[in-house]
Amino acid sequence: MKVAMIGWEYPPFKVGGLGTHCYGLTRSLADKNVSIDFYMPKTKHGSSSDKDNLVIKEIGETEIFPYDRPEDKKLAGQFFESVYRYNDLLVQKVSGKYDLIHCHDWLTMKAGVALKEKMGIPLVLTVHSTEYDRSGWLYPNDWFINIEKEGMEKADKIIAVSHFTKRVIVEKYGINSDKITVVHNAVYPIGESEKKNIVLFLGRLTIQKGPEFFLKAAKKVLEHEDTRFVVAGIGDMLPRLISQAINLGISNRVIFTGKLTEEEVKHIYQISSVYVMPSVSEPFGITALEAISAGTPTIVSKTAGVSEAFQNCLRVDFWDTDEMANKIISLLRYKPLHKTLAEQGNREINIFTWDRVADNTLDVYRGIT
Amino acid sequence: MPSVCFYFEVHQPMRLNRFSVFNIGKNDESLSTYFDSKLNQKIYEKVAKKCYLPTNRLLLDLINEFDGKFRISFSLTGTFVEYCERFVPDVLNSFKELYKTGAVDLIEETYYHSLSSLYDELDEFEEQVKMHRQMINRIFNYEPKIFRNTEAIYDNRIAKKIEELGYKGIITEGSEKVLGWRSPNFLYKSFNANLKVLMRNYKLSDDVGFRFSVRDWPGFPLTADKYAYWMSHCEGDVINLFIDYETFGEHQWTETGIFDFIKHIPREVLKHKHLDFATVSEVVDRYNTMGEIDVPWAISWADEDRDVSTWLGNDMQIACFNELRDIERQVKKQGDEDLLHTWRLLQTSDHLYYVSTKGFEDGNVHAYFSPYDVPYEGFINYMNILQDLKQKVM
Repeated sequence: MKVAMIGWEYPPFKVGGLGTHCYGLTRSLADKNVSIDFYMPKTKHGSSSDKDNLVIKEIGETEIFPYDRPEDKKLAGQFFESVYRYNDLLVQKVSGKYDLIHCHDWLTMKAGVALKEKMGIPLVLTVHSTEYDRSGWLYPNDWFINIEKEGMEKADKIIAVSHFTKRVIVEKYGINSDKITVVHNAVYPIGESEKKNIVLFLGRLTIQKGPEFFLKAAKKVLEHEDTRFVVAGIGDMLPRLISQAINLGISNRVIFTGKLTEEEVKHIYQISSVYVMPSVSEPFGITALEAISAGTPTIVSKTAGVSEAFQNCLRVDFWDTDEMANKIISLLRYKPLHKTLAEQGNREINIFTWDRVADNTLDVYRGIT
Repeated sequence: MPSVCFYFEVHQPMRLNRFSVFNIGKNDESLSTYFDSKLNQKIYEKVAKKCYLPTNRLLLDLINEFDGKFRISFSLTGTFVEYCERFVPDVLNSFKELYKTGAVDLIEETYYHSLSSLYDELDEFEEQVKMHRQMINRIFNYEPKIFRNTEAIYDNRIAKKIEELGYKGIITEGSEKVLGWRSPNFLYKSFNANLKVLMRNYKLSDDVGFRFSVRDWPGFPLTADKYAYWMSHCEGDVINLFIDYETFGEHQWTETGIFDFIKHIPREVLKHKHLDFATVSEVVDRYNTMGEIDVPWAISWADEDRDVSTWLGNDMQIACFNELRDIERQVKKQGDEDLLHTWRLLQTSDHLYYVSTKGFEDGNVHAYFSPYDVPYEGFINYMNILQDLKQKVM
């Protein structure tokens, strides 16, 4: 079987779960004798593969980050234009004999649909997030929604990263649930290390990820417990979050790390005592699996996709910062809780392999080829 | 001829309120904030309507219909009786009516359905047994002869204590770990005490309790004549069918046909001339022991493991158990009845059961009974309350 897979990011160029997913999926598919040409925009890092049947094809160039939310008109114009340019290039450059096209999220959907029509082969679409998630359900942008809707309608099969996302696809985009398969994400385990007295937030600093709730909970924790809070990542909310920490009077206990390298990310997961993922809207949340695989007990938003798939974690409503603080303090204070969650979490994480994701994806492929 | 010995465990725990770390040390007076009285009342009233009242009615009718030949035994926990006295007095009245028929025996246990039998000293355990004895005496004017510990937890030490307290028999699980090749359908003698032990026939008991409505179980659908037929082929003196009372109408809903099943049990069993019904006291009076059982490590009727790992299987459970046990002296020193009662209500084994992290089949059963999403929530809540109580007495 030969697949033309169209993505946007691929390690080392990676900003979110989409890149992690494409990396794990393509490598495990390649191990199952599926040939894959992985198309992505050319980046200054350059991506490559050490597997014969997995070829990374970089085309065009772009500076656009798929999760940025352009606010001013001029920037927005450039943003949309460069997405169109990438998609147009794809339609020109993708050629050869493929059994199907597999694309990921809205960025690649236009090309996916055009290629399906041009080449007359089936289209599989994986939905890692929707415009509703990225906007935190506040003022979703119709421009994205229309692209997403068209892509979902034209796709022969859709893979959703959670039942939560599947419901959004059915209810908000009016797609027939029969053509949607849920495949939960996976993780390459990071491994444990010695813990420090740190509570971690790690993710893009955008409205979707709920970092402001993390800081509000931090304030409440610090009234009872001495610890440090780390906010790792970058994003449009960074300046606002820094002032929030100052206004809350906790800026001496909160560290903003900025962008971290892959090695630094692993390290911070390993030394943190608690990981909090207070996302407003989270289709899956691979970072939770990463933290757990580093032996770090994790508190996730109740609505996050990972929350439906993973048992051994704590759940909160993202807005309930009292309960978030209650759970953070409990994890810091009660060693048996910390230990049991870490142990049981580590045991459960073994089920979440990319091999399983590849198997489930392959089942979807086989259903249409 | 084997006697069929039905025994029903009737228990409701006092479930806890949501209690966050921020509540610790906040509220000086009210211990009642530990318990979720609204939820407790709601659950109790639901179970009373679905299980206690209709099942008691049915059993009473059957006892009358078969002129006392249908005989059963009950164990009512102290916390359950408190619910009855507070919310739906009809339930307790219907138990009294059942008792008056003379075909019903009552079994002793700890008032609080606690794990006090696992403490290093057995003083607290003894006090809770005596509290239960007083309660049964007050309500039924009766002194039970047979003892059953919380979830049938049993070991040599407990048996010795129960002999000392004057009981003639004790109930536990018919576990292979103890019986080996031997049948549960006989009475055994405690290794180190002059006490007859009734061994639960867990296969036949769980056929009703757990498998009754399981469609892919080969025995499905379980009918009274099929069940009686199985029993008629049992060898031994006694078939001990010990079942949670909430099985009827609550765990197994009316729609499963569980009430029809019970309704036909007396007739179908008595069709077999060599079968009869007996209460736990009658069984102990009637039959001799067939050997000894030596149980150095505690067994129970819970989960697949049939030991105490259900309540003390992980570090979180052990931490809570120790916290509570270790403040005994401080609590008792205060001389405050309300405080003592609260401390004891917190000993009810259910609170630790909710903190179990056992996976797969057992875990599913735990999840069904638990008011918490995950055991970790149960731990946080319970531990926060224990910390608050500790601050109050230290």
